[in-house]
Amino acid sequence: MDHNDAPMATETQDEDHDGLISILERIQAKYNYLPQEALREVSEETGRSLVDIYGVATFYRAFSLKPRGKHLVSVCLGTACHVRGGPMIAEEFERQLGVCAGETTPDKEFTLETVNCLGACALGPIVTVDGRYFTKVGTAAVKKILKQAKEGLGKVEIGTDERVFPMEVNCPRCNHSLMDTDHLVDGHPSIRVTVSFGKMHGWLCLSSLYGSYNVTSEYPIPENTVAYFFCPHCHGELLGASDCPECGEPMVRMIVRGGGVVQICSRRGCKGHTLDVDGVNL
Amino acid sequence: MTELTKVVMRLDGVADAHRLDVYEANGGYSALRKALGEMKPQEVIDEVKASGLRGKGGAGFPAGLKWSFVPQDHPGPKYLACNADEGEPGTFKDRWIIENNPHEMIEGCIICAYAVGLSHIYVYCRGEFYEGKRKIEQAAKEAYAKGYLGENILGSGFSTHLTVHTGAGSYECGEETALLTSMEGGRGHPKIKPPFPASEGAWRKPTVINNVETLATVPAVITQGAQWHAGMGTEKSKGVKMVCVSGHVERPGIYEVEFGVPASGIINDLAGGVWKGRQLKGYFPGGSSTPVLPAEKADVLYDYESIAEAGSMLGSGALIAFDNETDVVRMAEVITRFYAWESCGKCTPCREGTRWMLQIYERILNGGGRMDDLELLLSICNNLEFKSFCPFGDAAVGVVRSTINLYRDEYEEYIREHKVYRRRFVPVKH
Ligand SMILES: Cc1cc2nc3c(=O)[nH]c(=O)nc-3n(C[C@H](O)[C@H](O)[C@H](O)COP(=O)(O)O)c2cc1C
Ligand code: SF4
Ligand code: FES
Repeated sequence: MDHNDAPMATETQDEDHDGLISILERIQAKYNYLPQEALREVSEETGRSLVDIYGVATFYRAFSLKPRGKHLVSVCLGTACHVRGGPMIAEEFERQLGVCAGETTPDKEFTLETVNCLGACALGPIVTVDGRYFTKVGTAAVKKILKQAKEGLGKVEIGTDERVFPMEVNCPRCNHSLMDTDHLVDGHPSIRVTVSFGKMHGWLCLSSLYGSYNVTSEYPIPENTVAYFFCPHCHGELLGASDCPECGEPMVRMIVRGGGVVQICSRRGCKGHTLDVDGVNL
Repeated sequence: MTELTKVVMRLDGVADAHRLDVYEANGGYSALRKALGEMKPQEVIDEVKASGLRGKGGAGFPAGLKWSFVPQDHPGPKYLACNADEGEPGTFKDRWIIENNPHEMIEGCIICAYAVGLSHIYVYCRGEFYEGKRKIEQAAKEAYAKGYLGENILGSGFSTHLTVHTGAGSYECGEETALLTSMEGGRGHPKIKPPFPASEGAWRKPTVINNVETLATVPAVITQGAQWHAGMGTEKSKGVKMVCVSGHVERPGIYEVEFGVPASGIINDLAGGVWKGRQLKGYFPGGSSTPVLPAEKADVLYDYESIAEAGSMLGSGALIAFDNETDVVRMAEVITRFYAWESCGKCTPCREGTRWMLQIYERILNGGGRMDDLELLLSICNNLEFKSFCPFGDAAVGVVRSTINLYRDEYEEYIREHKVYRRRFVPVKH
């Protein structure tokens, strides 16, 4: 049982059983499939028979006994996505990847599968790649999605990627603009803040392109350092209201001009961020 | 004009509502304070009973009554399983709740745990809800830090804990007893009832199982009172329902309305009507497992009794509309394929029946259907319904029987003219 930070059930040993699905989930996450040796080991450790474990492993769709590709593409063919053209999307993926649904490309890059309803029917047709949702997918978008997946969904190409757009932000305390038109990052005016970490205290310019993680700063900030961010005008801390959804460190908060709030993680190297524009959570 | 009545969705549009401080600023956790501070557990159960709150996961069973089935004097632990395995095609309301307002659900869970005396809350979250799982875990962490979860909650002496479990991709695991076997770490096979989960559930301990939406409604019932809740909706279907509208409409989405508004109002006023200026041909009132209703019955009132009278079910509240250009035979095949894939395989009528029906559909769509195939399909339906081990079997026949009855001529046209459906894509079972 890993789950969240909640204390584990303290009851009888019966309860240890529930670990099986999470154990298999961890193995699947590590190897992208369930290797036979690993299942034998699970059997020895949990004391459950191999046939029991095999039964569970074959029942659930998330588990695979065959090696899967690096990226998992799931195309929704649920009722709502179906009527909005899901099969055409699935077909386009098959064509582009040269494999049928359920198969893995020979270079082990992609596994293509079809699923029944991903719980976002209003935005169909839906495709998920490595857990990230793409909505209202048309056949023309298929190529782009595969390209993005290959390059890593975290990395984005400035200028051509629609998920990257410039934004202007203000300090949530004094409402002074944080934009620095003299200092360009990614060819756009940057967001200038003051950062402090350890004994260092200096300026930092963030890219104002949402989706880009480029920065320049007075002092280099070592990876994984958690820094404090301040407004250069009122010197108030830009403290976010919640912790980073990715790593749990504090967030840094800024107001988006035109309405909305953007938060970024205060840990160098973490890409955790949230953007709420008029209540739409991107 | 059909109006929205926002109860569970009252924070719709509020930025960052998934965060504890925002939720608290909007009156969050006041219901929990009220329940723990001013009410005895039995009073909470009585309040929920009096409110007429019914389960929103599909069966519409009264929530308070379910809670009162748990033996109070049972020694040892008792559990709450919050059913967040939302898998019915067309349903996407629970996902909205856990991603946008997870505290509302958690608060409801804690109140339920207090009322029934449950020592642990398990949230069974669908495996594909990556974001939702993270949001619940984050929210639970915040609630622990604030003392809403854990030992001696708010100094009341009551303690309960919360753990998030994830499924691994199986529709059947949403069925309550299959959910329990899955939680225990087995194949998602249902168990025989009785014993009912309320007396012998997860790890053979008394377990309450409720849907996310049901539990998320509880805080509002406690703060605003049973009378307020009972005053909404119809006589037997009290309160509100989040209706997920999808399919051929202009503005698909979730619309929370009082029970008893006309279905046509939801489709036309709220969802913007049928798309591309076309006509409505029919609709699933409650998800792909509920029998199709024709366009002539679009005026039926959206509550459990009226829809049952019209020959279908309200189910999980997923209204899928389809327009007059829809090929219903093909549509029925798609849904039958879903059931054939997802059948858990425990009992023969369902495991074999769903596949057999799928094969017949494939034959018809490939131009090789026979006239007596329709009778064959109907007879398989009869042998599946009420004869399968769990309600999955009943769910699988809804679309087959209703479309044959309503649109028989389209089936006959396929068979008579050896019409072939030009398949773009044949999914492979894997
Ligand atoms: C095949 C099948 C699938 C089901 N899937 C779900 C589901 O995904 N989510 C859910 O809440 N209830 C689902 N149910 C209903 C549950 O069995 C159960 O009735 C419900 O969780 C009880 O909660 P409620 O009383 O709050 O509605 C399903 C039932 C069946 C037969
Ligand atoms: S009806 Fe039978 S085979 Fe189908 S899901 Fe239920 S138990 Fe499994
Ligand atoms: S049908 Fe595709 S998300 Fe529901």
